[in-house]
Amino acid sequence: MRSPFSLKQEFLKKWILGLQRCRSSKKNMSIFERKKVIKLSADVAMASARKGTTCWSRALIADAVKEGNADKHLAEKILGPASERQPTEKVPVGAMAYNKRIRSKKILKRSSVIRRTIKFAPQAARPSSIVKTLVGKRRQILRSLIPGGEFMNGVSLIEETLDYIISLRAQVDVMRSLASASKLVNLN
Amino acid sequence: MSSRRRRESSRTNISEEQITQLLSTLRQLLPEIPHSHSHKASSAAKVLKQTCNYIKTLHREVDDLSDRLSQLLATIDADSAEAAIIRSLLI
Repeated sequence: MRSPFSLKQEFLKKWILGLQRCRSSKKNMSIFERKKVIKLSADVAMASARKGTTCWSRALIADAVKEGNADKHLAEKILGPASERQPTEKVPVGAMAYNKRIRSKKILKRSSVIRRTIKFAPQAARPSSIVKTLVGKRRQILRSLIPGGEFMNGVSLIEETLDYIISLRAQVDVMRSLASASKLVNLN
Repeated sequence: MSSRRRRESSRTNISEEQITQLLSTLRQLLPEIPHSHSHKASSAAKVLKQTCNYIKTLHREVDDLSDRLSQLLATIDADSAEAAIIRSLLI
């Protein structure tokens, strides 16, 4: 089990680095802009702390820099020069199709729900009750919550969920500590 | 035909075991809900539902904290000095 403390350290280090990379862009950012930078650099830091070992982390970063994303340039700035970025060799085989699918994700979403339900209906009679719970609306919701979830199934979906929750908790803990520490610093 | 079915069912059993194990780990991660109806035997479906809710809660918290931080961190320029202090406070 990875140490949660070192995960937080890794996250904090990358997050601060990302924030510093955005420092020079504008002198006076609006609060809205600042929030976007803080949140995006936190998410990117959380994903890159995994060093490309999990599907959700690769998907999060891929989503952030994909064509058509409004904050693509911001994300690229946060990630830094291409030479410093995480290796993406572990991207699944259908990488090209993956990117294309991401673009029309919203359009396909409704039709894919119908497609998946039809696809799994004949199998529903055979698997056990536990495997059966992984079919249907709840699985769909879970997949929509996890970055890259549409391409995960069964065991890997739950493994990714576990890792994602652990990372999210670390992210929240660090951000909360920073918020209370900043409040103390600002009070002086 | 029947041998294939047997093979498939054994495959299902292996992943069922894995899934059960993973689900129990997941259950431990989820926050305790004191007023929940189910006692020890929370079904897999319930765990998944709680998981989805928990992830949504965490997303909301990140969003809230980003809001708060954007107000607290006066300028991102000043971060380097404050960040060094805060980093040493946190570690």
